[in-house]
Amino acid sequence: MFQPVKPSQWLVIAAAILVMAAVPLVTRNSYLLHVLILTMIFGIFASAWNLVAGFGGMKTFGHHAFFGIGAYVSALLSIKAGWSPWLTIWFGALAATGAGLFIGLPILRIKSMSHVAIVTLGFAEIVRIVISNLQTITRGELGLWGIRPFEGFTLPFFGEITFSPADKVPYYYLILLLLIGSTAVIMLLMRSRTGLSIIAMRDAEDAAESLGVNLTRQKLLVFAVSAFLVGIAGAFYAHYISILTPTAAVGIDLMILVIAMALVGGLSTFSGPLVGALLLTGTVELLRDLDQYRLLVYGAMIILIVMFLPKGLTTLGPVLRKRFASR
Amino acid sequence: MADTPILTIEGLNVLYGDYQVLWDVSMQVGQGEVVAVLGPNGSGKSTVLKAIMGLAPAKSGKVMFEGRDITRVPTHEMVSLGISMVLERRRLFSAMTVRENVLLGAYHHSVSKDARRQLEWVESLFPILAERRDQVAGKMSGGEQQMVAIARSLMSKPRLLLMDEPYLGLAPRIVKQIGEIITRINQDGIAVIFNEQNVQLSFGLSNHGYLLEGGRVVLSGTGDEMIHSDVIRRVYLGV
Amino acid sequence: MTFSLLIEQIINGLIIGSMYALIGSGLALVYGTMRVLNLAHGEFYMLGGYFVFFLAVTYGVPSYLAIPVAIVATFILGMLIQRLTIHYLMGKEGWQFSTIAATLGLSIFLQNAALLMFGEQFESVPYYLNGVIEIGSIRLPLQRLLIFVVAIVTIGAMTFILKKTRLGWAIRATAQDRDAAAVVGIPAERIYLITFGLAGALGAIAAAMLAPIYAINPWSGLPILLKGFVVVILGGLGSFPGAIAGGLLLGVVEAIGVQLTSSEWRDVIGFAMMIGVIWWRPWGLFGKKPT
Repeated sequence: MFQPVKPSQWLVIAAAILVMAAVPLVTRNSYLLHVLILTMIFGIFASAWNLVAGFGGMKTFGHHAFFGIGAYVSALLSIKAGWSPWLTIWFGALAATGAGLFIGLPILRIKSMSHVAIVTLGFAEIVRIVISNLQTITRGELGLWGIRPFEGFTLPFFGEITFSPADKVPYYYLILLLLIGSTAVIMLLMRSRTGLSIIAMRDAEDAAESLGVNLTRQKLLVFAVSAFLVGIAGAFYAHYISILTPTAAVGIDLMILVIAMALVGGLSTFSGPLVGALLLTGTVELLRDLDQYRLLVYGAMIILIVMFLPKGLTTLGPVLRKRFASR
Repeated sequence: MADTPILTIEGLNVLYGDYQVLWDVSMQVGQGEVVAVLGPNGSGKSTVLKAIMGLAPAKSGKVMFEGRDITRVPTHEMVSLGISMVLERRRLFSAMTVRENVLLGAYHHSVSKDARRQLEWVESLFPILAERRDQVAGKMSGGEQQMVAIARSLMSKPRLLLMDEPYLGLAPRIVKQIGEIITRINQDGIAVIFNEQNVQLSFGLSNHGYLLEGGRVVLSGTGDEMIHSDVIRRVYLGV
Repeated sequence: MTFSLLIEQIINGLIIGSMYALIGSGLALVYGTMRVLNLAHGEFYMLGGYFVFFLAVTYGVPSYLAIPVAIVATFILGMLIQRLTIHYLMGKEGWQFSTIAATLGLSIFLQNAALLMFGEQFESVPYYLNGVIEIGSIRLPLQRLLIFVVAIVTIGAMTFILKKTRLGWAIRATAQDRDAAAVVGIPAERIYLITFGLAGALGAIAAAMLAPIYAINPWSGLPILLKGFVVVILGGLGSFPGAIAGGLLLGVVEAIGVQLTSSEWRDVIGFAMMIGVIWWRPWGLFGKKPT
């Protein structure tokens, strides 16, 4: 399924990174940067979900649990234990990984796609309700606030770097690095033996089984990596937004949004979820005035994409080319 | 009308995805005839029957029933024309009773008014249906299930019956019984087209046969002609 | 917990559980017949509730008339939704996921369409029956008794349809083997259409009965959908009788569980039980292990 990355594709990847890195040099408009930061958070989230649901063929509907766990664990450790966010985000991600293994193991035994969808959704609801109910620790829907920002540091040539609501640029570069890192992890994983065997067997589960191929370990690894990446995105979100509520950080709307992004961009492609994240976050912000139609449009978009362009927008090019060629 | 074939297939091509299963297949079934479609595993003989019934998509070609083009008629309308089918491996409604299964054979409104009379007839063919009427179909033996399946297909008073591998997985004693039933049905004026791997078994019954190989008709003729043909030996024995 | 409190909780549990059963049976019917997991099932409930509200409260139609009209309206809506979306996906490549995704889109779309049209305020419908009956120390409002009676009648009617009518036979036959059903002359597509309608109607009946107790708003379908999920997993996904048993069981376990803990843990009890069942008996508590 995967050919080696062609020189032209490396060019596109390099250009995309350069453009993203250049944005703060052109404009310091904090609103635009904020939108792009959100886009990149969702980009990590959607790519990681695609890793499991697209490449892995496990259609989970509960990844928002990992986002919330990453966010809350990191935030609480920084508040209650007074640890640096630079450290706590990794603990948040590890906690998400643990939760991923806990729910990943049973769902790997389940063949039925519908059962997987229901169980993962139910699991995420449990996480949300528990966070919401443990008010003495999380303050529930009142919101966990006072989350520490990342500590500043000094960089040669750039001088003092401080993370504050006033200056979004440091956050911007941090999340860009995380996005590049997570995309690299996903690409490397999918081009490794693990990834290739999962892809090869995804559409031929029965055949694989009759051959005695057991992919449980590989699938679990993919699930854990995915949960880890979503956890990191959640942890970054916590220290960036600096206030968490169960609805915002573990709500089902979050999962719906991410599924919409991956579907619109294109499942089982590397670029699809990223394009989807950019497109959906972008359109939403452009249509701020029409905010009340936002979810209505998302819903309609999911239906239309599934019905008319089931492989997503990133496949639109080849589809059109084929259509015109056949005329 | 007596000389018009009840079923004519002309230049039928069937594809599953990009994979072509049938290549330019043409066949005929005369009024009141029993026709065998022969061929080794994977030769496409099952697909021929499915394509007639509309269960496999015909890319091109024509299926004519009593002079009428039925290539694009949906499967669920076939019974109203007078075509019925016994699917491969019986395919009963396994959680429903024998009686429910049989009565469902007369589900279509065009035939349901005669359900009572048809039921009497099929129960005379298969006494076991009345004895076991309240048994859950999935719990019966393979041979018993095949009888229920045939009974179900006869409830719609077909003039043409398609039987997909009617002998598959059955004990020799049952095979003989089923063979007798096919003859009996045929004596009542119903034309039958069935497929089978075993040549000897097939020609005990049929007037005429077609041999498929790799999705193409490579030979056709009467039983005698075919049994003594070199082509049969080549296809089956690789000689 | 005293004995009479236990009895009272069991009765309360059975009453609310009978509604869970109706919700779950709609999901089970669609899944059992079409193998489609309908994430928009909660929206049938939500829209059914609004139909009752507008007819009974806004236009003052008597409830014994408003409720049947709302049920029929939701039935038609269910068929319309199926015809416009799911119909085109069935049997196509990747339909198992595309149908789930499409119903997810539908769910969000319908929620937000309702939000735009009806606003976000909570609406409610007055009690259909007032008064209380007392059996020993247990006081039972007639409204709650009515809920249970309607559930029993609905379940009875559905069972009758499935077991004794031509339509029911066709639904069961299509559920068991679509091709074999087509061969005997059953048009699967029409059956799917009606199945979706029936699921909608079941959701609307539950909505009508619960409207006086739980407020109606654009989001009221989601918690109901999640309840329905627990019910169908307990009963075995796709099993109609399983959904009935699963609904009643969930109602009782929740009622007793809430008594032992507190009401904010209600949903956790159900989901935890569901995950336990998936682990232990993925085919459901009441069915036989598939071979």
